[in-house]
Amino acid sequence: MPSPSTTSSPAPSTAPAPAASPPRRAGLPLLSALRRSYDRHWYAWAMCLPVAVVLVLVVGYPLVQGLYLTFTDANSLNVGRTIGVNHIPDSFHWIGLRNYIDVLTGPDNQFWPHFVWTLIWTFGCVAITYGIGLGLAVLLNRPMRGRTVYRLLLILPWAVPTFVTVFSWRLILADNGAVNQLLHALHLGQPSWLSDPFAQRVAAIAVNVWVGVPFQMVSLLGGLQSIPDSLYEAAEMDGASPWQRFRYVTLPGLRPVSSTVILLGVIWTFNQFNVIYLLFGSTDSDGVQILVTYAYRLFFGQQPQDYAGAATVGMLCLSLLIVFTSVYRRWLARAQAEEGVWS
Amino acid sequence: MRRGISAAVLAAAVTLTAAACGSSSDDSAKQSGPVTITWWDTSDATNEAPAYKALVADFEKANPDIKVTYVNVPFANAQTKFQTAASTGNGAPDVLRADVGWLPAFAKAGFLVPLDGTPAAAQKSSFEPQLIQQATYGGKLYGMPEVTDTLGFLYNKKLFTAAGITQAPTSWTALEADAAQIKAKDKVDGFAFNPASYYAMPFIYGEGTDLIDAANKKITVDSPAATKGMDELNTLVHSPGVSKLDTTANGYANIMDAFESGKVASIINGPWETTNILKGSAFTDASNLGIAAVPAGSTGKAGAPIGGHNLVAYAGADAAHQAASEKFIAFMTSAASESTIAQKNATLPTRSDAYTSAVTSNAGIAGFQKILSAGVPRPAVPEYSSLYTPMQTDLVKMLDGQESVPTGLHNIDLAAKKLLPDYQG
Amino acid sequence: MALPTDVRDTARDRKRPDGRPSGRGSRGRTASAGLHGLLVAASFVAVFPIGWIFYISLGPGEFDYQHPGRILSHATLSDYGYVLAHTGFGTWMLNSLIVGLGTMAVGVLISASAGYAVSRMRFPGRRKLMYTFLLTQMFPVAVLMVPLYRILGQLRLLDSYGGLILVYCATAVPYCAWLLKGYFDTIPVEIDEAGRIDGLTPFGTFWRLIVPLAKPGLSVAAFYTFLTAWGEVAFASQFMLSEGKYTLAVGLQTYISQYNSQWNYMAATAVLIAIPAAVVFYVVQKHLVTGITAGSTKG
Repeated sequence: MPSPSTTSSPAPSTAPAPAASPPRRAGLPLLSALRRSYDRHWYAWAMCLPVAVVLVLVVGYPLVQGLYLTFTDANSLNVGRTIGVNHIPDSFHWIGLRNYIDVLTGPDNQFWPHFVWTLIWTFGCVAITYGIGLGLAVLLNRPMRGRTVYRLLLILPWAVPTFVTVFSWRLILADNGAVNQLLHALHLGQPSWLSDPFAQRVAAIAVNVWVGVPFQMVSLLGGLQSIPDSLYEAAEMDGASPWQRFRYVTLPGLRPVSSTVILLGVIWTFNQFNVIYLLFGSTDSDGVQILVTYAYRLFFGQQPQDYAGAATVGMLCLSLLIVFTSVYRRWLARAQAEEGVWS
Repeated sequence: MRRGISAAVLAAAVTLTAAACGSSSDDSAKQSGPVTITWWDTSDATNEAPAYKALVADFEKANPDIKVTYVNVPFANAQTKFQTAASTGNGAPDVLRADVGWLPAFAKAGFLVPLDGTPAAAQKSSFEPQLIQQATYGGKLYGMPEVTDTLGFLYNKKLFTAAGITQAPTSWTALEADAAQIKAKDKVDGFAFNPASYYAMPFIYGEGTDLIDAANKKITVDSPAATKGMDELNTLVHSPGVSKLDTTANGYANIMDAFESGKVASIINGPWETTNILKGSAFTDASNLGIAAVPAGSTGKAGAPIGGHNLVAYAGADAAHQAASEKFIAFMTSAASESTIAQKNATLPTRSDAYTSAVTSNAGIAGFQKILSAGVPRPAVPEYSSLYTPMQTDLVKMLDGQESVPTGLHNIDLAAKKLLPDYQG
Repeated sequence: MALPTDVRDTARDRKRPDGRPSGRGSRGRTASAGLHGLLVAASFVAVFPIGWIFYISLGPGEFDYQHPGRILSHATLSDYGYVLAHTGFGTWMLNSLIVGLGTMAVGVLISASAGYAVSRMRFPGRRKLMYTFLLTQMFPVAVLMVPLYRILGQLRLLDSYGGLILVYCATAVPYCAWLLKGYFDTIPVEIDEAGRIDGLTPFGTFWRLIVPLAKPGLSVAAFYTFLTAWGEVAFASQFMLSEGKYTLAVGLQTYISQYNSQWNYMAATAVLIAIPAAVVFYVVQKHLVTGITAGSTKG
């Protein structure tokens, strides 16, 4: 199961030692210790090397460079560039924390409203997606006819690329699109899903939930299937009602999967670029832009491109997620310890 | 040390695989064969590109020592793509069809070749002076205008005459009156406004001002004149007979659909729509489409933004490529080429000698040619085109009633100050 | 939790004292109808947008999407004909397949290697690596566009399949490695030891013994990496410079020009894009559920 490494993992992990001799700690020169380490672990490092290379090259190096840029006033006009044989050097300056101060407290006040909305967006989407995913997983876990067909259909939103499905949603949510036609037939109000600020947010969350449910559903279904029947039998023998069985057998049994899936859901939703970008384009929708799309606009939506500003918002997003992750994992670990040996 | 070798081999394999998939695009100047230049064209891939590709083939026939690689780049990406490519020195094309708004930023960054004195600008004097002015930065010419457009007042003549109006309105107040009259008499909306900042510019130009005053380094978007223009727009979109504001993503398409089917009597739009309009049910008779200059503001003078595209050459290419690019640009902006394109794509040529009778037989082109003189060229400031984005947000809020006009303009002013920190106001 | 062995029978075999099948295994008619009803409704919502775009693609005119009711009267497949014959669709599809399958192959390979190493071996830096996997998912990668472009340019990987595959692997591999680590955790270590007794190197054990057992987990990783590559727009638009290298995501954007959008062709292309994705999914779907499974309980 995909679980954060701090939660208790059911799998034993003994270290195979190819030519093992227990390491002697005290008094060994460093070189010997390194060589022993190498001998013992080189397989592991070799197998991890491709990942490490790719990550350092593609993510690590730009990330470090981005971090550096946040302390400067770099934009597309003062960053060094090579034009043919001319090389124009960098001409931006170090300005320390001024970008962060401007973004967080400047008169522009763009960061905080977007931040609050991003929080609402993230937790709203994850909660709803998890709930629906769990419900569908519970339904699908029962033996019935046509189960495979249902599974096939329900996972389609995940299989088809978002730039196709969100494009379809744009047509469906248009003022005279299918959703409003349906509401009209039911004699309900028909909001402008794509232009009224409040309706925009509802529409954004709805579409993101639609896109995200299959993943949650499949994960939770897997989790459900790993809960042994014997536990349910025991509960039933004790006279538990279906609801009680759900609450005391299913939910705790799902906890490892749930915790992972929720953590991933939060991270992915927080940085979910495609849905909002494709649903609303780049205009008329300031109220629904989350931090990521806002940073993208700073980067690409203006001339000269504000590299430093975009990188600053990006770094703030990263920091927020790191803080969230550590808090979350600590909370999980504590909850796990309190519950005792349950999973 | 077999283990060490294995590990190194594994690592190397990964890197080599990645590199091997890399393109071997090392076609530097050592070739004595034909020079190959790349042209990034941002025209409509379905409707306009075929005409341009045909011209490219003609050029290659006339210049056997130059090959042109035609690449159609989606308009939405092209500016960013070129910016990234040019600033990293990798993958930039030799010629780019650049929107007029992109040119100052690229020129300031040093990405473009000054074209004065090169074959590309040999016939500079034949071009519309405003367009040459828009393609100039820091006193140097960086692009040759390829196509141009402006905003005009498009109206359904039948609906107007049926309501007793004989000519297009010449001021915004007249438009308000006309719209109300049409609504009363014809039972359809008289006017529909597309709430985009570009389309709000006639209201600002009509008061004799602009978003910024480049000469004096002032931001004028919240000046009294601009406020007056914006108030006028606000009044207009809320007057009777004017369609309810549609700010959805499909709003533009909805307005066009309404106009083409006769549900709205007039709109403000550019020549790119005339082909579609003439396919509409209300314009099966082409003479029903009226094209007039945008109404004027309180100064009595009408002003419309000038759009269009220039052909620019990349300064990072070597001498042979630059020479070929200049020849290519000269060919594509020659009178004959522009006439051909105008006839096939219904776009507006940028030079008076390209307006042959064959070209002006297209009613849309003829109509817009007459109003080109009302166009106001943009200041040669790189950040100018970026002002439309923050303006868009607050424009919608102002017209929706979420912000008052002074507040909205003040917010745009703040955003403008971020882009132009050394400007006052 | 040790349970008496006789309790481990499945519910379906046991009956209550009064002879009726036990509560969990049976369902009344209404409950069955309710169950199917809910699932049908959910499936409808899931499938509707895709069905809708298919419906729109049957309208031959550029503006038919604004009048969907009219499409029924002149539904045709002409849009598909145009897209297949007159656009670069074939090239786009080929490029997307190459990039998608390449990402799948390379991504699964390196994430399986890393996942296995972290699962089986205690080596220094293990925890840090796992945390790095998590961390790399947290940064909004769209902001890294220009530095990435520069790096790919220096590696001569611009406008090439390798460049995109590299970038996609960087985004998909962290999650897959984490997932596969969890999956490998569920495979008993006895198998590794059996392999070592037979004289296999750790690589050999990995390849010959573990990988066949890990098919469900690998299927999920394959699915995820393929989908990541298949559906990605931003990097493909930026890094593919020549028309011959455009992927489907970029090709779809060529229908949107400055003033016009060919919605009918876009819809047809969209449907043609959805089909391979659905096919790949169908191939792996058997394993999807078991693959993302939490640690199985033993005995």
